[in-house]
Amino acid sequence: MRLEKCWFCSSTVYPGHGIQFVRNDAKVFRFCRSKCHKNFKMKRNPRKVKWTKAYRRLRGKDMTQDSTFEFERKRNRPERYDRNVTEQTLKAIPLITKIRHERQKTHISDRQKQGKSKQREKDAKEVEQDFHMLPKMLQETKVKVRVTQQQTEDNVMEE
Amino acid sequence: MASRLKFENSCEVGVFSRLTNAYCLVAAGGAENFVSVFEAELAGVIPVVRASIGGTRIVGRLCVGNKNGLLLPHTTTDQELQHLKNSLPDQVVVQRIDERLSALGNCIACNDHVALTNPDLTKETEELISDVLGVEVFRQTIAGNILVGSFCTFSNKGGLVHPRTSVEDLDELSTLLQVPLVAGTVNRGSEVIASGMAVNDWAAFCGSDTTATELSVVESVFRLRDGRPGALGADVRKSLVESCFV
Repeated sequence: MRLEKCWFCSSTVYPGHGIQFVRNDAKVFRFCRSKCHKNFKMKRNPRKVKWTKAYRRLRGKDMTQDSTFEFERKRNRPERYDRNVTEQTLKAIPLITKIRHERQKTHISDRQKQGKSKQREKDAKEVEQDFHMLPKMLQETKVKVRVTQQQTEDNVMEE
Repeated sequence: MASRLKFENSCEVGVFSRLTNAYCLVAAGGAENFVSVFEAELAGVIPVVRASIGGTRIVGRLCVGNKNGLLLPHTTTDQELQHLKNSLPDQVVVQRIDERLSALGNCIACNDHVALTNPDLTKETEELISDVLGVEVFRQTIAGNILVGSFCTFSNKGGLVHPRTSVEDLDELSTLLQVPLVAGTVNRGSEVIASGMAVNDWAAFCGSDTTATELSVVESVFRLRDGRPGALGADVRKSLVESCFV
């Protein structure tokens, strides 16, 4: 039994799920559910379909290169069974999964942080342009902030 | 010494077993008397391993190996791969190959020094063969057929090829492989030599249908007879098939 990856969306295909298609050139395509299978039959390219892992990796939305991915690589040259090694591996698997998830989360939040600073600039500009549209109370506080800012700027320039 | 046996009423011994100088693989799940013949001959000398490849019993035709390594097709499951690695001696490198032609036993014939391969194999596979098995690889056809692994079998001492191989081809192959070759049959005239028999440097197993003549040819070309030095004896020469096909 082996947990394979869906050819279209790259999610894991568990036993009892999905369909395998074998083409005439002996290439095997595994699908996790009929959604992916039907998309394949429509000849859609997974790299252009937004919800697939292939698209997200290609566009840099998800983490592509990391040392944690090396652990899950398919190996063609086995090593002799060693009980200690197996024990250590089984203990390490949940730790590695946790680390991988953390790294993926930080990758996404780092990507979104750049958007945050841009958003702040945009907001500041908007406040300046449409200052008169703010309610009276906020206008007063904004003026105070502006004045103090200008004072500090003058002090800096004098120095 | 050559023995005659059957696997579940089939004389194609080379399909269900793979015999090398360092190990022997036999099909798992069959009747015990098939394995016991191998064990009787080989027990203390080399490990006899019951295995399946991709859940099938046709291990002889799917894998290929010599004393240095064993090559398996991509259909081999991870559990089977691990089982083979655990059962075989440490010097044998077990490697799974990604190759479209997955019946490696039909495409590759090898001994400990030289391998003949199907000319359609990819370059990476060829490099892997020379790397894992430690052999020199030649792309050849036998009697116009690309499945060299089925139509010829050779050990370090000698070899048997398809009966319709021309004399020039036979000489050419003989110089390539550096072993004496003979064109012959097994299993009462079956041309598929490697499927009908399993052979290594000191033992051979043929199907029950093999006639006494064929068996004596096998024993002389593979030098299996005890205490008989050197080339084929005069008494065997008459029965050689090469004289029939010009």
